[in-house]
Amino acid sequence: MQKNGPIALLFHALVVGFVLAPLVVICLVAFTPENTLTMPTTEFSLRWFRAVFEHPDFVTAFGNSLWLATIAASLSVAIAVPAGLAIDRYRFPGRDALNGLFLSPLIIPHLVLGVAFLRLFALIGATGSFLWLTLSHVIIVTPYVLRLVLAALSGLDRSAEQAALTLGASRFTVFRRVTVPMILPGISGGWLIAFINSFDELTMSIFVTSPATVTLPVRMYMYATESIDPMMAAVSALMIALTAVAMVVLDRVFGLDKILVGEK
Amino acid sequence: MGFLTLEGVSKVYGGVPVVRDVNLAVAKGEFVSLLGPSGCGKTTTLQMIAGLVEPSGGRIRLDGRDITQEKPNRRGLGIVFQSYALFPHMTVAENVSFGLEMRNVPRAERDKRVAEMLGLVHLADMADRYPRQLSGGQRQRVAIARALVITPPVLLLDEPLSNLDAKLREEMQFELRRIQRRVGTTTIMVTHDQAEALSISDRVVVMEGGRMTQIDAPYRLYEQPATPFISTFVGKMNRIAGVWRDGTVTVGNAILESAPADIAPGTAVTALIRPEKLRLCRPGEGRLAGQVASRFFLGGHWLLTVATEAGEIMVSVPNTGEEPAREGEPVGIDWTPATLRVETASEVAA
Repeated sequence: MQKNGPIALLFHALVVGFVLAPLVVICLVAFTPENTLTMPTTEFSLRWFRAVFEHPDFVTAFGNSLWLATIAASLSVAIAVPAGLAIDRYRFPGRDALNGLFLSPLIIPHLVLGVAFLRLFALIGATGSFLWLTLSHVIIVTPYVLRLVLAALSGLDRSAEQAALTLGASRFTVFRRVTVPMILPGISGGWLIAFINSFDELTMSIFVTSPATVTLPVRMYMYATESIDPMMAAVSALMIALTAVAMVVLDRVFGLDKILVGEK
Repeated sequence: MGFLTLEGVSKVYGGVPVVRDVNLAVAKGEFVSLLGPSGCGKTTTLQMIAGLVEPSGGRIRLDGRDITQEKPNRRGLGIVFQSYALFPHMTVAENVSFGLEMRNVPRAERDKRVAEMLGLVHLADMADRYPRQLSGGQRQRVAIARALVITPPVLLLDEPLSNLDAKLREEMQFELRRIQRRVGTTTIMVTHDQAEALSISDRVVVMEGGRMTQIDAPYRLYEQPATPFISTFVGKMNRIAGVWRDGTVTVGNAILESAPADIAPGTAVTALIRPEKLRLCRPGEGRLAGQVASRFFLGGHWLLTVATEAGEIMVSVPNTGEEPAREGEPVGIDWTPATLRVETASEVAA
């Protein structure tokens, strides 16, 4: 292992500092007893955390976001794995077009997608529908999953599948017992990135959510446009804490290395 | 009639013939090697037998049954891949057990057979390890166990030893032969290593440019190579171009005495003799005089290159405890005429 020089160490420290500093600040601000976004100087208070739970619309929005992200990430995995297999393994007419189509949501600004979906949902009478909101999220998160699945497939030793086949496994058994476990890091990594992207997607969601399906980022955005108080910081701090706990639990139960990096 | 037969099997990839009209009959219990340089079609042939590649033409029969169109998961053959192709997410025991599971063998019997097989390949105490925790040689043996546990009628080995270091490769050659003898499974091995093919096979099939050019026992293959390619690919061979004259090969002023051959005088020929069939003797003695150009010590023997009037000739000198002539020293070379074979130019063209 190569040692880092002093300049490299300083650089790393700065990068980590810049990434972490806002998170630390927002967490500290959440504990302020004041009415403005200030660092707590004299005492710590949980008043703004209480305020969050006195706003049931935030709790509902959180629930909406959680469901939305879970379903959207899972659906996108269900689409991206077969699509990835087809694109990786077969040469068929329209293969490049299909690949391009699946990845295009990455290129189109979410603002444009938002307006387009708003118009489409109005036309088909789907405004306010959780199902259609979910589908719109599936469209924007699938490219991430597909990319990771394709990367995992390209690094896969096909002879393991051939070995399973010659040992008497059917094609589906090979897929279930060999292919999927071997590309699991790509699939689970893709799911996680899809979940996160869906969970904090704001730009498009502003256009396609309705009062009944409002997501947490949209809720926060609407709140912040009306008033700026430390409750936003409290919501953020809760999110950070929740994510951290989820990561620790995942790591303890499955091992994040195993899921995201794979067994080597 | 062989146990496994290939009848006129060929494979064309995008207009390019890779395997051309291959015929082979393998007897039950036989160990046959497909030997050739990379790109000669040997692996494609193996994959066609396995059912992983569909032949463009010809028939493959197993025990009289036509399996040409049969899916690989119906053939029941055991295959060991070059990369071993172990399942990384399963333990050694689970890897070996996989084929039995696919055959719905009950749990208790499965465990018993897996244990037996792991014992056979000396890995009994590794059952709960994952492939990544094993050395190359151990992975190799897991792959063999996994292929053999389903008691396949034919075991196919694709360059099974090429990823091992030299010492281990030699050990595994004996190991492979031991296991094969013990289990008695008909085995076909693909290899580009001629020493490996010669040492463990009952018969060796040499492939060149998609064709099988010689099918013979290792000793015969070595002593009577059918093509110029085989003569140099299998072992070392001195090839000396000359002219046939009075039962000898004439190269400039040098006259090489050979085995008798029915060739018209004046024909352009190539004299063939293995380095170990040549004897080094004192200067002035022997049939050919020369000077040592280079000398390599190879443990069991020395390999000398001797500059003669007939060109540079390789001579293998057994290590008897005495150092042979040094570089630059004059020497004589002798041989028994019957060991010098002659090949005509027309044979070379064919």
